Order: sequence, then C-alpha cells, then structure tokens
Amino acid sequence: VKDRITTYGVIGKLAISLVAVVVIQGILAYRIRVFGYFDLPLILSIYYGFTLGRPVPSVIIGTSIGLLQDSLSGVPMGTNGFSKTLIGYLAATAGSKFDVDLPVTRAIAIFLFTIGDGFIISILGLMTGSSINLGYNVLWNWLVAGVFNALLGTLMFGYRDRVSHAAS
Amino acid sequence: MRTVIDSKKPAWITLAVALVFNTLLLSLQTNKHFDTSFVRVWLLASLGPFEKVVDAGVQGVENIWTGYIALIHVRRDNEKLLAENGQLRMQLSEKSEEALELGRLRHLMDLRATPIGKTVVARVIGKDPSQGGQNITIDKGTKSGIRKDVTIITSDGVVGRVISSSEYFSVVQLIIDSQSAVGFIVRSSRRLGILKGTGGSELEMAFIDDDNDIKQGDELITSGQDQIYPKGIPLGTVLSVGPRQGNFKVVRIRPNVNFGRLEEVLCMTDHLPEVPVGQAP
Repeated sequence: VKDRITTYGVIGKLAISLVAVVVIQGILAYRIRVFGYFDLPLILSIYYGFTLGRPVPSVIIGTSIGLLQDSLSGVPMGTNGFSKTLIGYLAATAGSKFDVDLPVTRAIAIFLFTIGDGFIISILGLMTGSSINLGYNVLWNWLVAGVFNALLGTLMFGYRDRVSHAAS
Repeated sequence: MRTVIDSKKPAWITLAVALVFNTLLLSLQTNKHFDTSFVRVWLLASLGPFEKVVDAGVQGVENIWTGYIALIHVRRDNEKLLAENGQLRMQLSEKSEEALELGRLRHLMDLRATPIGKTVVARVIGKDPSQGGQNITIDKGTKSGIRKDVTIITSDGVVGRVISSSEYFSVVQLIIDSQSAVGFIVRSSRRLGILKGTGGSELEMAFIDDDNDIKQGDELITSGQDQIYPKGIPLGTVLSVGPRQGNFKVVRIRPNVNFGRLEEVLCMTDHLPEVPVGQAP
C-alpha cells in the first residue's frame, strides 16, 4: 500500500509539473514578448530524459507534454506530441550513454534538440498541409530559440542539481 | 503503472506506440475522416482554468504595480485629459451632426448600417505555448456563444478567428499566424485579394503579379469572400510593394491591431450576412 501511495504521489507531482509548465509558458509568452523564444515544455522533456535516463517514462512524458502544448496551439493535435516524444526518447538514450552532468554538454544538447524540434514541427506541418515558412527568418528564430533554451535550461538544471544535493 | 515504466521490454516498442499514436492523431485530422476536436476541447477545458488562475495572479500583481506608478503622474495626466476632453466634446458634436446626416443618406439610399451584430467581450489569458505560434487563449467559450470560426476584433480591426472552443475557453488564431488567410479589399481601388500571415508581426499579400493599383499607405478591409470574416472590418495598411520574388510581388502589410498589447477583444458571435461588394464603409 505504501508503495502504491508513493507511486501515485510521483505520478501526481509529474502531472502537476507538466500542466504547470505548459500554462506558465502560455502566460509568460503573452506577458513577456521575448519569452516566445523559450520552450519550457521542451526543456522539461529533455530534463526528464536526462535525469531519469530511462526511455519508457521519458517517451510517456514527452507525448503528454506535447499533446498539452498542442491543445493550446493552432497546430494539429499530435505535432508537438510527436516531436516531444522523439526528443524525450533521444534525451533519455543520451542521458544513459553520455555524461550529461556537465553544463556545456547540457547546453549543446538543448540547443541541438531545439533546432531538431523546430525542424520536426515544420516537416509535420508540411506533411499535414499547413503553410509553414522555411525561410531565413524561421532559421534565425530556431537559432535564437536554441541559444535562449540552452541558457535557461542549463540554469534550471544547475539549480535543480543544487536543490537535489542539498536535500541528499 | 510502475510495471509499465520499469519494464525491461525494449524501449523502442513504447517509442513506436507513442509515435504511431501521434501520427494517427495527425492523420485523422488531415483526412477529416474522424472528428478529433474533442481531444483538443477536453484538454483546453482542463488547462483553461489553470491558465485563468495564473493569469489573474499575474494581473493582480501588475495592477498593484501600475496603480502605484500611475498615482505619481495622476495630477499631470488629469490636467492633460481635461484639456483633451474639451477638444473631444467639440469634435463629438460635429461628428454627431455628420452621423445624423449619414443616417438620413443611408435611409434615402436604402443601405444597411455596417453589420457588426451581437458581440461578446473576452479577456486574453494566454498565448500559444509552441515556439513561433501566433494563437491566443481567451476566457469565453461555447457557453457565451463562441464557436469555431467566430471572428475576433478590437476597435482597431480584425484580430483573428476562433479555431477551437471548450465551454469556458477558446483558442484564437491571429491573422498574423502563418496558417492564417483573410480575404481583403483595397479601400481606395476596390481590388480584391488574399492576405496571409507571416508568423511574424506583419502580413503579406498572396499571388500579386502586378502592383499597378496597390500603393504604399493603402488601407485594406475584409472582403467577406472567405466566408469567415464579415465584410468591411479594417485589416491594415500597405507597408511596402515589391520586389518580385519568383512569379509574384512581395507586398507587406502592417496590421491595424497591435498584437503585442491585446488585453480585451470582441467576439462577433452573431454577425449579419455580408453586404454586397461596393457597400463597405
């Protein structure tokens, strides 16, 4: 019974963090214009992939957060779901094979995952008949978003590491 | 649940299942064989209240801050507003005379007034959480009569259209979104065309192969020919014409609405049928 309560507690906390991240992303992007470049759901998918190091829960987290993101977006349902699933899986695989505790490794990984996310969403957009611009502006936006996400992600991961160390 | 998460089975099976699930969802929406909007509506209904609560908190803090700052300048602002008020009263009396005259002329010519119809005021509570997305969430839904394709406006012009609604919340696609297209008329030359969103802060005219009757500064209004936006609502102003890229000219438009400062919007829940071409204001 104790085990079951702990499991439900973990799932509950996880669900709250997923909803909170999508809602906070929506509110901050509306209130602070520059926040449109950040992608908190993507950073969270990578974070869980890296820290859990297990592909199965990372895939489930990626799909869930992607679908939540899709519900508040104009893109077809499943677009971010597909992309975040793949990123969750790749982050978990990378987390179990490489040393992702180094800030530089994390920053580079988040940057590359951001570019990959943009690319997958654009390809899916083209496949579903959406008019996606793939011009210079879009590439520039991906690069800027990559740098912003890498900086924010590295800071957040570092803060989380400190809290975890202090608790243990 | 734990057994699934801790399963020793190859992870790629989970990955494949998740990818197939998302692909199926995408495919069903693209082919329109099966209505998947209930998934979006259900998720929107679940996320909307959280978004509204967080937004209310942020708004509260913002109000305290701006209220305090405003008090410092309130006396100076009050004097300025009183002076402006006097000028506006004079202008209003002139305009009311003109409005009466216009009404008489409309009556004489048997024309209807601009069809705005029933509107509902909604508050913007959030923005698209996807990278580069140009959609907003508003705090009104089907309970207030808002359904898919309802036009959203402000006093400046067209904001966009509703793409999904739950009972109390709706997602609005802005006209600047890269998926958006709006039929327009150039107010002066009456030329018809289609405006497309760029995903940035501007709009672009689609399929313009000549620029003889489109000039910088021309004002554009909705044409009503897209069967979504009612006719005669201001859209924007021509920012620049040309150069030609491929077969078509690039015509950039600055929208009338400042999308960075949207707070309250009007939802046209019951606009009257469009008026024939040539009768727009």
